[in-house]
Amino acid sequence: MKSIVAKVLVVSIALGVAVFALAGTAGASHVKVDVSVPSEVTVGGPTAVQVRLSSADEGLPVANAAVTLYASESFGQVTSDVELGQVVTDQNGVAVVRFHPLSAGDHQIRVQYVLPGDSEPEVTTASVTLPGITTQLYQSSAGVQIPGLNVWLLIAVVAAVWAILLSVAVRVIAIAHAGSDEAPRAGLAGGR
Amino acid sequence: MTPWRERLERAALAPITGTSRAYYVWVGFLLAVIGWGIYAYSRQLQDGLVVTGMRDRISWGLYITTFVFFIGISHAGTLISAILRVSQARWRTPITRMAEFITLVSLICGALFVIIDLGRPDRVLNVIRYGRWQSPIIWDVLAITTYITASTAYLFLPMIPDLALFRDRLAGRASGWRMRIYNLLSVRWHGTTAQWRLMGAAITTAMILIIPIAVSVHTVVSWIFAMTLREPWNSTIFGAFFVAGAIFSGVAMLIVVMAILRKVYHLEEYITEKHFVYLGYLLAAMSLIMIYGNISEYLTTGYKMSEGTEFQFRQLFLGQFAGFYWFYFLGGLVLPGLLILLPWTRNVWGVVAASVLVVAAMWVERYFIVVSGFRVPLLSYEPSTYAPTWVELSVMAAGFALFALLITLFVKVFPIIAIWEVAEDEESLAIAPAARGFAHGAAPEPAGGGAR
Repeated sequence: MKSIVAKVLVVSIALGVAVFALAGTAGASHVKVDVSVPSEVTVGGPTAVQVRLSSADEGLPVANAAVTLYASESFGQVTSDVELGQVVTDQNGVAVVRFHPLSAGDHQIRVQYVLPGDSEPEVTTASVTLPGITTQLYQSSAGVQIPGLNVWLLIAVVAAVWAILLSVAVRVIAIAHAGSDEAPRAGLAGGR
Repeated sequence: MTPWRERLERAALAPITGTSRAYYVWVGFLLAVIGWGIYAYSRQLQDGLVVTGMRDRISWGLYITTFVFFIGISHAGTLISAILRVSQARWRTPITRMAEFITLVSLICGALFVIIDLGRPDRVLNVIRYGRWQSPIIWDVLAITTYITASTAYLFLPMIPDLALFRDRLAGRASGWRMRIYNLLSVRWHGTTAQWRLMGAAITTAMILIIPIAVSVHTVVSWIFAMTLREPWNSTIFGAFFVAGAIFSGVAMLIVVMAILRKVYHLEEYITEKHFVYLGYLLAAMSLIMIYGNISEYLTTGYKMSEGTEFQFRQLFLGQFAGFYWFYFLGGLVLPGLLILLPWTRNVWGVVAASVLVVAAMWVERYFIVVSGFRVPLLSYEPSTYAPTWVELSVMAAGFALFALLITLFVKVFPIIAIWEVAEDEESLAIAPAARGFAHGAAPEPAGGGAR
């Protein structure tokens, strides 16, 4: 029994270490990729994702690598990867991509980089969580605000029109009720 | 029952009780055109909007043109019928039902073209899911759905006594499904005092409500254009201009349909030359308003002559769209006015010829408004061109065939003329024979018909 518990414990620790390592860094066989996402991100606010590329063996920075960030976005039943930005790493192997996240929730950011001299891109992912709820971010700064002339006025007009239409429908029901009290009189249907 | 009333009922029942071979040929032809249109549309569904002539620079074409055209002619019925009813124009009674049919049918056909233009019809619900109250598209959807509902009510209410008459007269003679329709839609009508009072109140409410709704519909349709940043659509009179154009094309379409149904169903006793001439006067008045609108619009923008306006004027008056524009202006506004106002062409055929010209010209007007507006470049790129493909032409032809088919089928099921209103009008004339119009040989009475 003790040996089973010990084995489970060892496997759990090994898995935990692996998950922890994978969460912090990701990399191809010869390049180590560190992705840093700010701990506090707000919807619509400026965000900078820092990507650092270094050689896996010696830890030397990889300069002049093209780094492109993508995020998966959905609108109107269409889901697609949206490019957030493309930056070339500096002498320290660092590329900082700045963008404005537009919706709350968990987002997977796809980090694609092409090393100098390479043509095939390599890919890793990072996750970022934005608290709160998604709201309409665009607020028109132009225009003249006239008190009372707004969406609620439109809703009130539409509601009033449909209320009147409903009253017409009620009258049709009343016609049917008035007819049910009367015995059918052949030939009098159309005449007054 | 008087012999006159008997003839009236017989005339109203004739489309239901008898079906000629020509009717089946006509319906078969329309179904064939619709079938071909469905095939063309299936190609569009399969391959996408790339099978049309629309591209990124000119992204509206025949579909939106035809949508605006159908919404325009929807003013034929309800608005005209309501205005004539509100103004107590007595001569209106034999034609209001047809006018109201046209409204409902053209609204159905018009709404279909918006969905067709979408390319992906399943995305129509995105208007509800992602729509914003601030968007003219949402206003358009609201206005058109309200108008369809109100027009249905306005068509249905005055039809109740006639449906009850059909229920009684056709009992045992009509097929089961027809009788079920009459029983259901006649809402237990027996012509009691309470029922007349309730129906009168409902019609009054509906006819007053329908006028602003109808005006709002075409105003909002115009705003789809006028609120888009395109040089030729930067107009403050677009709303009024579109409403005027809608009434203009609506009256013309009503006259054409009236002439066809009068001929086919032998309604000469009820739809007389007087009705054509009176509607012709309305058409002539609207043609003058349209000419005024053209001059007012183009003179003011042309006087300022911005770069985009110059491009638009060149393509409209001298270039690619010149043929369309001058046909519209001379053939669709000036000539119809002359045909109606000159005494020797002021008759049934003259008015019908003028109306056919107006219907064609008003479709053409919508075409060049839509396409030429998109053709004015927004940036310094070469102006694009648009040519409709066989898919668009086929779908459009199917739309017109559907319009004709729905009217044909409506007429086969529902009363073609408002029997009780015509009878009431005749009775009032019998009481006051001096007020009788030239339907029975006297000189025409003034438009409006005087008090009832």
